[in-house]
Amino acid sequence: MSGLAQTRLQEERKQWRRDHPFGFFAKPQRNPQGVLDLKKWECGVPGKEKTIWEGGLFKLEIAFPDEYPTKPPKCKFVPPLFHPNVYPSGTVCLSILNEEEAWKPAITLKEILLGIQTLLNDPNPDSPAQADAYNLFKKDKAAYENKIKRLVKDNPAP
Amino acid sequence: MSDAGTPSAASKPEDAQQAEHLNIKVTDNNNEVFFKIKRTTALKKLMDAFCDRQGKSPASVRFLFDGQRVNPTDNPESLEMADGDTLEVHQEQVGGGTA
Repeated sequence: MSGLAQTRLQEERKQWRRDHPFGFFAKPQRNPQGVLDLKKWECGVPGKEKTIWEGGLFKLEIAFPDEYPTKPPKCKFVPPLFHPNVYPSGTVCLSILNEEEAWKPAITLKEILLGIQTLLNDPNPDSPAQADAYNLFKKDKAAYENKIKRLVKDNPAP
Repeated sequence: MSDAGTPSAASKPEDAQQAEHLNIKVTDNNNEVFFKIKRTTALKKLMDAFCDRQGKSPASVRFLFDGQRVNPTDNPESLEMADGDTLEVHQEQVGGGTA
């Protein structure tokens, strides 16, 4: 990993520990030897209050490339999430995470996770990433909402 | 400060600083209370103090650190907490009712 990425990720870690949005978590993973790997983070995004997502906590893995922060990190729901803008692999499709679109090196981890939280209840049907969630969202809102409510129940905040 | 060559047999703390006391922020998203606590003191002490101060019953809330539920017997050392870390206090809730 480049020195720039290393320095930046240490700073992100420091800032996060000092202050982070309520209900979220983000921490570098440990490798099998027990050493922190700053390139791989485990994160949790809570559903926003007063939305059908409230009460759920959805886990993500964030992988930072060697070229970070020139290039954006890859954010992946584990297990993959039922959502119109999440690929079947779990990877999040979001403009601020796309190098060709709105990614900027100044975007912080906090902004990424808050952006993903907003995306949960605010899907963009013009850019679907998976068929199941997209089709249900387009065809049957009530069934879609019921599905989300079950999802929240299966992924409760700890 | 050169820790690059340290063997990784024991998981080493992220920060080299090993002060005996830590300042921990406890927040329920409404109120913030700062506590000074020894690394080896059970967090029960801090949890009870927060509940006392906020007039909450310990059974009505749960404490989270890094997305994990905190047990009263945990201490800052066992959770690898660092100075300035935050404990979150969430309302205990029961699912159910509809659907």
